[in-house]
Amino acid sequence: MSIVIDSVSKTFGDYVALDDVRLEVRDGSLTALLGPSGGGKSTLLRVIAGLELPDSGMVRIAGQDATDTPPQRRNVGFVFQHYAAFKHMTVAGNVAFGLTIRKQPRWGMLARTARSRSDEIEAKVDELLKLVHLDGFAHRYPSQLSGGQRQRMALARALAVEPRVLLLDEPFGALDATVRKELRAWLRRLHDEVHVTTVFVTHDQEEAMEVAEQIVVLDHGRIQQVGTPRELYERPTNDFVMRFIGPVSEIGGRWIRPHDVEILLEPAEGTSEAMIDRILHLGFEVRVELSLGEGESTWVQTTRSRAEELELAEGQIVWLRAETESEPVSA
Amino acid sequence: MRSKYALRFLALGYLAALLGIPVALVFINAFQDGIGAAWEAVTTPEAQHAFYMTFVMVAVAVPLNTVFGILCAHAIVRQRFRGRALLNAMVDLPFAVSPVVVGLALLLVYGRRDGWVGEWLAEQGIQVIFSTPGMILATMFVSLPFVVREVVPVLREIGTDQEQAAATLGANAFQTFFRVTLPAIRYGVAYGVVLTTARALGEFGAVSVVSGKISGQTQTATLFVEERFQRFDLTGAYAASMVLALLALATLLAMNLIKPKEARS
Repeated sequence: MSIVIDSVSKTFGDYVALDDVRLEVRDGSLTALLGPSGGGKSTLLRVIAGLELPDSGMVRIAGQDATDTPPQRRNVGFVFQHYAAFKHMTVAGNVAFGLTIRKQPRWGMLARTARSRSDEIEAKVDELLKLVHLDGFAHRYPSQLSGGQRQRMALARALAVEPRVLLLDEPFGALDATVRKELRAWLRRLHDEVHVTTVFVTHDQEEAMEVAEQIVVLDHGRIQQVGTPRELYERPTNDFVMRFIGPVSEIGGRWIRPHDVEILLEPAEGTSEAMIDRILHLGFEVRVELSLGEGESTWVQTTRSRAEELELAEGQIVWLRAETESEPVSA
Repeated sequence: MRSKYALRFLALGYLAALLGIPVALVFINAFQDGIGAAWEAVTTPEAQHAFYMTFVMVAVAVPLNTVFGILCAHAIVRQRFRGRALLNAMVDLPFAVSPVVVGLALLLVYGRRDGWVGEWLAEQGIQVIFSTPGMILATMFVSLPFVVREVVPVLREIGTDQEQAAATLGANAFQTFFRVTLPAIRYGVAYGVVLTTARALGEFGAVSVVSGKISGQTQTATLFVEERFQRFDLTGAYAASMVLALLALATLLAMNLIKPKEARS
């Protein structure tokens, strides 16, 4: 279902967490809220879930005003950074939680109906555990699972209630690098299978670029830019987005992507003179660190073959030319 | 190495002198006239009634203080309101105030002659002081902080993530509390119950003031021990003390049994 955030503001004491935020999340899309910590991205996610109430503004889910709807009735799935596993329940119990409290057998309900309900729940749990690759773990307790497994369990638990939107707050933040990479790819595939509107929070630009179709960059409680990963990388609307999304170098007082700088052996129009301080060979990539005079230094990213072709050496004088393509649009 | 042994000796010696030897002597003295005499001393009608009164104190004070303690801890940790800090400090009052003072304070409120509400209650036919209700109130007062103090840190430690997860899964406040919060704090509650029980079993000062110490009527086990002792019935005093000590020991043992495996050392 689509989500519309209309002029939402939220403060905690003197601290402005969200400042007049407007955003549309398309039905079925996969969106990342990206920004530095304290930028407001988690608050925005919690406002969508109903775990925080905005001071002003409106939240619409599937076209309906949900601003004052309590989280219990929003029908959103929420996944926490530290899993929020119910430690006293088995994996199956955790996943079934949302189903059992919704479909509690009422007094007077026929025993047969109650039994078929519990069979229904069991089948649903089995199906979800298969989806998150935890079949065979149904009777374990969360303490017997690894971090990655716990997070997949939390995801299955959130999906069990067939939420209209799935919200994930730094879902891979507490996991080690290898598991994080695995789960990213897996979340992407899961979204292709389940198609539920998904919003996740991250401070890791690589994670956002790798997983999301749409990235929302937040800083100081304001949306800095909304776009596809490619749009943000190639056409950042301001210095903040430019520097936050991908590497940057500074040449002649402006920011540029280090791979958009050409190294020339002869002076030419629009070039700056520089001396090579160091050459770092990082496999395919070669990183050249240079001094620009007056104590300014910068770095340029080039390929191994290009560096060999130019026969670059430390101490050499070269000229740098910025390719204008990804010049930041001034804010 | 030597300092390590010295430290160990000091710690054990301190415990032995303060706790071990006195308690052991109670056991020895209880049996100075033989097991039969000790058994007889604690099975007289007065003794039986005294233990029954102690049982009543525990049976009423512990459940009430458990429910109140959980609610109070929840308010202190999870809610934001004016006077929260005051509530937090008030809970510790029974630790700070001497039980005798508690007893006197209860007299001032419920005393029949010049108590604050005692006169009115007496007109309604309710006697609080020198009767079971007053003794229960005194026991509740002195054993009030234990559940709160055990549950507050556990509640803080588990955080709000699980409760919020339950909310997003559709659970109402009631379901969240009984299915998520309460199971998560159950060990804290259990320790609190054990300590409350031990305290209620052993209460003497406050109950002594409000009970009137009427043998066979308003006499609890601890008051029975005092009375026997003052009447030079040492066997009776030590035998009843031993039963009290055994009850306390059983409660503490129960605490060790319910501890989760990883917390056991």
